[in-house]
Formats: sequence, structure tokens, C-alpha cells
Amino acid sequence: MRDINPFESAKKKLDIAANVIDLDENTLKYLKKVERSLIVSIPVVMDNGSLQIFEGYRVHHSTLRGPGKGGLRYSPDVTLDEIKALAFLMTFKTSLLELPLGGSKGGVRVDKKKLSLNELRHLTRRYTSEILNMIGEDIDILAPDMNTGEQEMAWIMDTYSMNKGKPSPGVVTGKPIEIGGTVGRTDAPGTGMFYILETLCERQNFSLKSSKVAIQGFGKVGKVVAQILNNVGCNIIAITDSEGGVYSDKGLNINKLINWKQKGNSLKDHERSNIKVITNEELLCTKCDILIPAAIENQIFSKNADNIDCKIILEGANSPTTSQADEILKEKGIIIIPDILANAGGLCVSYFEYIQDLHSYFWNLERVNREMKRILLRAFESILNLSSEKEITYRTAAYIIGAERLAKAHELRGLFP
Amino acid sequence: MELNPFEVAKEQIDIVAKEMGLDPNITRYLKKIEKALIVSIPIMMDNGSLQIFEGYRVHHSTVRGPGKGGIRYAPNVNLDEVKALATWMTWKCSLLKLPFGGAKGGICVNPRELSKKELEKLTRRYASEIINFIGPNIDVPAPDVNTNAQIMAWIMDTYSMNKGRAVPGVVTGKPVEIGGSVGRNSATGRGLYFVIDAMCEKLNISLESQKIIIQGFGNVGGWIANLLYERGCKILAVSDISSGIYYSEGLEINKLLDWVHSGNFLKDYKDQRYKLISNNDLLTSDCDILIPAALENQITEANANEIRCKIVLEGANGPTTPEADKILFNKGIHLIPDILSNAGGVCVSYFEYVQDIRAYFWDLDRINKELKRMILEAFEEVYKLHKMREIPLRTAAYIIAVQRIARAIELRGIFP
Repeated sequence: MRDINPFESAKKKLDIAANVIDLDENTLKYLKKVERSLIVSIPVVMDNGSLQIFEGYRVHHSTLRGPGKGGLRYSPDVTLDEIKALAFLMTFKTSLLELPLGGSKGGVRVDKKKLSLNELRHLTRRYTSEILNMIGEDIDILAPDMNTGEQEMAWIMDTYSMNKGKPSPGVVTGKPIEIGGTVGRTDAPGTGMFYILETLCERQNFSLKSSKVAIQGFGKVGKVVAQILNNVGCNIIAITDSEGGVYSDKGLNINKLINWKQKGNSLKDHERSNIKVITNEELLCTKCDILIPAAIENQIFSKNADNIDCKIILEGANSPTTSQADEILKEKGIIIIPDILANAGGLCVSYFEYIQDLHSYFWNLERVNREMKRILLRAFESILNLSSEKEITYRTAAYIIGAERLAKAHELRGLFP
Repeated sequence: MELNPFEVAKEQIDIVAKEMGLDPNITRYLKKIEKALIVSIPIMMDNGSLQIFEGYRVHHSTVRGPGKGGIRYAPNVNLDEVKALATWMTWKCSLLKLPFGGAKGGICVNPRELSKKELEKLTRRYASEIINFIGPNIDVPAPDVNTNAQIMAWIMDTYSMNKGRAVPGVVTGKPVEIGGSVGRNSATGRGLYFVIDAMCEKLNISLESQKIIIQGFGNVGGWIANLLYERGCKILAVSDISSGIYYSEGLEINKLLDWVHSGNFLKDYKDQRYKLISNNDLLTSDCDILIPAALENQITEANANEIRCKIVLEGANGPTTPEADKILFNKGIHLIPDILSNAGGVCVSYFEYVQDIRAYFWDLDRINKELKRMILEAFEEVYKLHKMREIPLRTAAYIIAVQRIARAIELRGIFP
């Protein structure tokens, strides 16, 4: 049903943008290919002595504007096309934000829950060694993604540094602060989403305070944005994790839910009077002002788009909305703040971590947030202008801005040899 | 019915693993390739349009040394084919005890549709894209289908320019002027010759009195035909893409070679004693030694029963299908498998590499002497195991190759 080839659907977004601006055909052809994909076998001696071989990927979609930048995910159903699509998305994100970076992504086909810590470390170190020539602070910089975090990044940084014979913190971002990470990174996607939403509401003369918000996802992104919005007085009426969640038209007590979740519980088991248990599907169709899909891809699609009942969709996840759903939502007059802008705070602070590592000079939280706000709002401003000038969606505007900057770089650099 | 070549390669590993009782962990390991790199190769065509080709480079194994394997340009190249070819290179290098692993590369392109300029750009861009994947101590490409010494020269130049120093050891099959080796063109044919000579000795028959049929008259078929002709054998038939040509009293190979080297087809050769024959008739005619030296999958289930010879000497890669293998074995026909018989090419590729990294070049005499030594050492080993266990030569060759790799994996262990 939602089995959409992710790379095909990613390219479609570019097609829509290219149509509006008559993008040069050669450039379009170029942007629709990934520069290179590396597939590696990762043999790991398991704790029980048997040998298991996992498959890993690293894809550079574009390094036209700088080194590749993109996360690394561990998931049992990772495919090469999924990684290509995510790398493609990163290229447009970095271009939109005017960061001197390209787009890349990586993944290992593994169910992390089935590995011991020891096995996980072996897997991560061997994967790093296998892709060693494809990464580096001036080649391609990794970051956490689905099912990877600070510990994996630390192992990658260590393996790379040991292989190169010198500490190389700039090869990954999302590291622990003690070994070259930056302050403010964990909260960055949520904080960035808030900056964008705040600006949009100002523009639309819409009061963020007391608006009703529904959030799909209670992880790194969903939780932070829930907290921030709760603090500025929004009513979070519904929130879910992967197993479902809770709804209350009076607004949920977010701090209590965070405590509940921290104890290892599922949101749906948080039974209280005035609280209704809901599924993820129900959450998406909840009547609210702001819907924030902050979980996984392809959640709003042709089958449920008609039932979406909100004014604004703030895409916290990558590609939560399919192209077909985009069309339907546009007809309904729902404003979508697209992923490549909305959740770019994470990337932005990843970039800051990278330049702090390169310069061996570290910023404070105030500077991190200030610079992030500047970069995000600069990009948002150009989207708002282009969108009203050409009467196109924010997503199409964002892709046009990203694509034009890439096209210019392509033209200037020319084709080697 | 198109067989997926990588599935075939994996099946072969299973068969050999069972025969030799290989550790299942190692079997699993060998059935995976180490790395595959897929690259986009954007080329500005002569007409100003942009075309983007897809290229591959695969390392099946670097356990015993840098990868070694050709690069092919063909419109039907795909990742699974390249993976299979890389796997077969691993066995070949292992069998010959070369300090190399197995690799292969390819570009999905019809080179006949490209101008020379476009072909050069394609090659240079491909070489740049795989630059971190190749190198004298990483992976050493060589010519394969539709690639040649000129293309190797462009790769060597691109690599050297990128590195800022001359690196001839990054590819083999180069022209002699820039670090190529003498004797490389004749290497595969000469290897075949050494092997068949040794085989005849084992069977107590004199090579001179054998009647030979050769499918193919190119770089491999032409050379082996010439060597056997000079030895005094009767070559009953040879073929090129135009036709086969047959004479029961033996063809005059020297004249046919002159004819073909002047750019002519065999079907146009005028000698009233000679008659033209089809490919299948050629394969199934009476002879002592049949040498398929053209394409893969020539001796199949369909014609294996009609093969009438004592020895099949595989000059091409994979000319015999696994089903045909069984039929020939049951008929008592000796089949000398490709990974042994046509290994002369990779052997002299190896010599070229050794000469490049030492910057000291050998004469033809030394090349042929060392080639003979290496290929006959492998032959002896294979023949002994074949006799001892009463298994086909091919199975024996695979067992030796796989065992050597398995031992290397065991010794090195799994990093980290």
C-alpha cells in the first residue's frame, strides 16, 4: 500500500520544481543520478562464535557544493534505493541552507535490537573501516540517523582516527561533547522547527499560543518540539510513539508523559481519565491547528490525505508526506512546511559541530542557537518570497532554490575531465 | 533462460564446500563480495548533450592480496555479472598462487556508439570515480570485453595525473611503451599450450599426432592454433564470428592467420579443399582435442552428448555449462577447466605488475619460462587431486583454490 520506491518519489519532487523554472535538461539528468554508491559486506564474529555477514551502504548523491553530509541508519529493511533517496534529500537540504556541503547517506541492514553491545561495536567499526576511503572531513561527514546515536558516532570517530593515525573528530557529527561534539545538537531539530513555526505564525497573523497541536513521534524530534511548544503555551492535544499514543482535547501534560516514557513505558499505556488512547492513523486525522509528523516516512499518503484536518503541517520527519498526498493537501489549502526546511535545524547544528571541530574552537549554546536561527530564517525568507511570487507551495519553492544553487555550481565547475 | 551469473557462482561455492567439508562460516563469507562501488559517469557527448553511464567495480576478495580483474564495456553489463566475474578471479588467482584477490569492473555502455573522444572521456571519468578503489596495492584492473591496451593507457594516465606521479602498476595490459610486458598478448594461448602438452604426457599420448578443433581465432584461439600448428598437430577446424572452416587433413594455420590479421573474415578465405561449417558442427566434429576459445555457454546440455573428443581444453571463460560438465565426465572426456587452462593471461598480467612495481623488465624468454613454471605447478596440483579423489579436474581446481582462500581467512581472522 505504502510501498513506494523512495528514490523514485524523491526524484518526482525535483521534477515538479524543475517544471516551474525550466531547469536545464542536462542539469536535471545529472541531479537525478547519485554520484556513487558503495555496497560493503560486514563480517562480524558473533558472541556465540558464528560468523554473520551484514550488508552496508554509503551513497554520495552530490559533492558539487562540498563534502557529502548525511546520517547513518541501522535498520533491518534498509535498501539501496532508500539510502539514495535520503542522500538526494540531503543535497537539497544543504543547498537550501547554503551550507558548503553536499548530500549523502549510509545504512546497515541490521536489526540492532538483536545485537549485543560487543557485536554492535564490531559491526560499527568494521563498517567504518570498509567505507574509510569514502568518508572524511573533506569527503563525506556522517551523523546519527535511525537507530544510531552518540555511541556509534564515537566508535566511528575512533576507528577512523586510529586508521588515519590522528584524531579526526570532523569525520562525524553528533558525537558526545567530550570528544568534539557540540552543545545544542540534541535539541536542534526541535528548536529549529520552533523558529520556523514561530515565524510562519507571525506572517499569517496566527496565534501560536493556545493553538491545538498533534504530534506523531515522541523521539529525538517529537519530544523536544512538544516540550518547546508546551512551554510557549500551545495545547498539545495528541501525541504518539511507534505503538500508538494518547489524546485529550484539553491538552496533555507533556512533562508527565516524558517521565512516563523515560521509565520505559509506551504512551498508549498511560491511562488516565480525560485521556483517550489513539492509534497513529487516528493521530494523523485528529482535528487540530498544527500537525507535526515527526516519526517515519510516507505517513500522509493518498489514502488518508483527504482526512487530514489541520491548518499547518510541520514536517519533523524526513518525507512524511508522499507526492500524491501533497497534491491533495494543496487542494485543501493546508500549508506544509517541508522537511528540507522544517527539520533542518539538526543538519545546521551538525554543520556547526563540523566547523568547530575543524577550527578546534567551541561555541556556547547561545551562539549555536543564534546562528541556527539566522540560517534557518534566511532560507525560510527566500522560500516565502519565491512561493508568493510564483504562487507555488513551500516545498516546490524550497526545491527550486536548492536546485538553482546546485545548477549554478554544476555550470561553474563543468564536467571533468 | 538467462542464468543469474552470481547465483551460478554461489552455487559452485556450495558444491565445492560440500565436497571438501568447508566450515559453514567460511562458506558464508566466500559467497559475499567484499565491496561493490557503483558510480555515475557523466559525459558531455560530441553533440553537446549530457549522457550518464553507470559503472561498477567489485572486490570479491582481497584476502590474499590486492584485487585483480578486468574491466568490460558492454551494453548488458550489470552488477551481478561483475560480482560473478570478480568471484571467478578470486579462484583463478588463488589456484595459480598469485598474491592477488579477485575483482572485476564494467561500464554499461555500447562502446561502438561512442566516438574516440567520448570513449576517452568515459574511461578517464570512470578511472577518477574509482580512484580510491584501485591502485597497485588495492586493486589492479586489466582489459576484458571491449577494452584494450589504449584504454588501459588512459586509465594509467588518469590515475598517475591524479596521484601526481607515474603509477604504471595500477593496471596491466598496457602498451609496452608505458610499462606493459612483452609476451602478454600470447600469454593465454601459450598457457593453454603448456597445459595441453602436460596433459598429453599424463595420458601417455603424443601431442603431435592429435587432431584439434578450435572454436575462436582471436587473441586466444589464434595463438593456440599457431603454437599447436608449429608443433605439428593437425588443426581440423577453427572459427571466427563469420563462420567455421574445416579440412580433414589439417588447415594451413599460418596462411589463415595472415588472412585474418589483414582484416578479413574466415568465410571469405578461398581454398577449395576447405569447407565452411557451422558452430555446432564444429563443436561436434570428430577430433582428439576440442578447444572452445570464444564465448561462454557453448557446450551445453543440448550438444554435450554429441561432443566427440578425448580432451576439452577451455580457452574461453565458462564455455561449458554445469549440466554439460556432468555429461562429459560420464562420457570419460577429460575437461581442463578455464580457471586453470586460460590462466596464462592473468599470470603474465601478474608479471607485468611485478615488473612495474620493481621497475625492472624481463625478456620474452623469462616471461615464458616463468609462465610455464607457474601454470604447470598448478596443473600438477590439480591433476594429483583429481587422480587421488577421482573427481573432475574442475572440482579439483576449485577445491585447491577455495582451500587456499579459506586458510588465508582463518589466518587473518575477522577485523576488528
